[in-house]
Amino acid sequence: MTKDHDEVRDLLAAWAFGALEPADEKKVPLHLAECEDCAAEAERLRETVRLMDGPHDPHGPHGPHGPQARPAADTLPLALRARRATPRVAAHAAPYAAAVAGLKALLPEAAGRWSTPVVHDWDVHATLAHLLAADEPLADRLGIDTQVRPPLDIDADTPWEDAWNRRTAEVIAHEYGRTPEETVADWAAQADALLATPEAHDPELAAHAVTLMGMRLPVAEHFLVRAFETWVHSDDIGRALGLSVPPPPEAHLWQLVRLAVRILGLSLGPTAPPVLFAVTGGDEWVLGSEDEPVRAELTLNPVDFCLLVGGRYAPDEVPRGTNGDEGAVRNVLERAASLAWL
Amino acid sequence: MVVPLESTGKTSVEPSADTELHRRLVYGDESALAEVYTAYGGLVRRVALRVTRSPAAAEDVAQEVFAQLWSRPYAFDAGRGTLRTWLSVLAHRRAVDWVRSEARHRKDARADDAALHTIPDAAPGPDEAVVDRERSLLLHSALAELPQPQREVVHLAYFAGRTYRQAAVELGIPEGTAKTRLRTALRTLAETLADPPDPAWERGA
Repeated sequence: MTKDHDEVRDLLAAWAFGALEPADEKKVPLHLAECEDCAAEAERLRETVRLMDGPHDPHGPHGPHGPQARPAADTLPLALRARRATPRVAAHAAPYAAAVAGLKALLPEAAGRWSTPVVHDWDVHATLAHLLAADEPLADRLGIDTQVRPPLDIDADTPWEDAWNRRTAEVIAHEYGRTPEETVADWAAQADALLATPEAHDPELAAHAVTLMGMRLPVAEHFLVRAFETWVHSDDIGRALGLSVPPPPEAHLWQLVRLAVRILGLSLGPTAPPVLFAVTGGDEWVLGSEDEPVRAELTLNPVDFCLLVGGRYAPDEVPRGTNGDEGAVRNVLERAASLAWL
Repeated sequence: MVVPLESTGKTSVEPSADTELHRRLVYGDESALAEVYTAYGGLVRRVALRVTRSPAAAEDVAQEVFAQLWSRPYAFDAGRGTLRTWLSVLAHRRAVDWVRSEARHRKDARADDAALHTIPDAAPGPDEAVVDRERSLLLHSALAELPQPQREVVHLAYFAGRTYRQAAVELGIPEGTAKTRLRTALRTLAETLADPPDPAWERGA
């Protein structure tokens, strides 16, 4: 009896909400018939739910002549207007378009928290300024006017890493004299301009190779590099703000993985001890010498591989599957991590 | 053979449907919003209509809710709850805000005869309907102020038609906890009626 009483008492709110399990349905009325306390409580709770349901006037408080709802079919298109559509671009620029859309969606969360430390000695504002500087070489090359920022005061024969770091420092110093919102607006405008270039829309125009940041690659792949860097810094900013930034859409992630594998292969050269390299859920490659038998196997998850190449994992920290010659594996991991310039 | 030595903490084993939708929303995939709308548009409207009792207002609330998810996808965190609950709670919040602002406007325009149109003249008699309507708003206002864990389970049971067991599974909490939260929540709401604090809800305070 007491057991029934306690059990039913715990169920009364669920009963009032109509949220009982079918098996409980009979138990409750049986007990209510013989327990005044529970019956009173049940009545009180059910009356509360009835009042939440509201009066049963068929036309609502506005009567039959109240304001008409606009057609339900308009609701989704109107909601979609709350955000600018991602530009439709060729496949090689789509990952950059998505990464830019993703960072634009993240930045409102930084409002009032622009000075949160992110990575290196950068806060959110400086990380944006760095991206502004980092997108600049491709923008310049594609004929976009970037003159709003301090002119480039760096010799043409300066090694690219030095030039790159100095330019970032210059732009950060410049942007600190402005509001974060102004920096965001300039970064977004430059990114939008990149996505509006003919090279973002036409694979043939994007096929010619140019040297940027020490890498001679087709323009199409420089767009992928921009996507890569934009995503990794978005991930940095997300971590700093306590938000989990999702990996790029699956198709884009694999475009980034294939580019990174190609650059890693070139960097290892034709004589490195060969390693069978697999990325979970995708392809396998033999990295290093083609003339020797494979010395080891290495498996990485695609996101972890990108974060390793992006410098967000130390070579000995990245989660991995390995088999065979440890030295050959370490060589690949260390080389991958050394590619990071972000 | 390649043996994974350790699992990574950076990506989940099998991303949930919500996680995958969120990923697509973040990166600006319009078809993801269309999918969310197809799945939860009905629930969002139902919640908004229950509170506002105006199809036009419910449609506006639905637009606001999906616009919010689209323009601020990071406001939803798949690690903290389901999209269903998040949308339901947001729709309810916006609907309560709508009613509060309506009430303010009505007060401002009390001298205006036009305001009288808002009083229904249908059965069961205007006075009773008005009183019931006020009580309903008081309850929804109180529901919107409940602690988040209680609010979520009420939303699943009351608006989304889940049993307490299904709600517990969706929220990842023990069944007993779901029952207790429902009970605490509903008792709090019942007490609001017995002892209405002050008409602050009407002032939007």
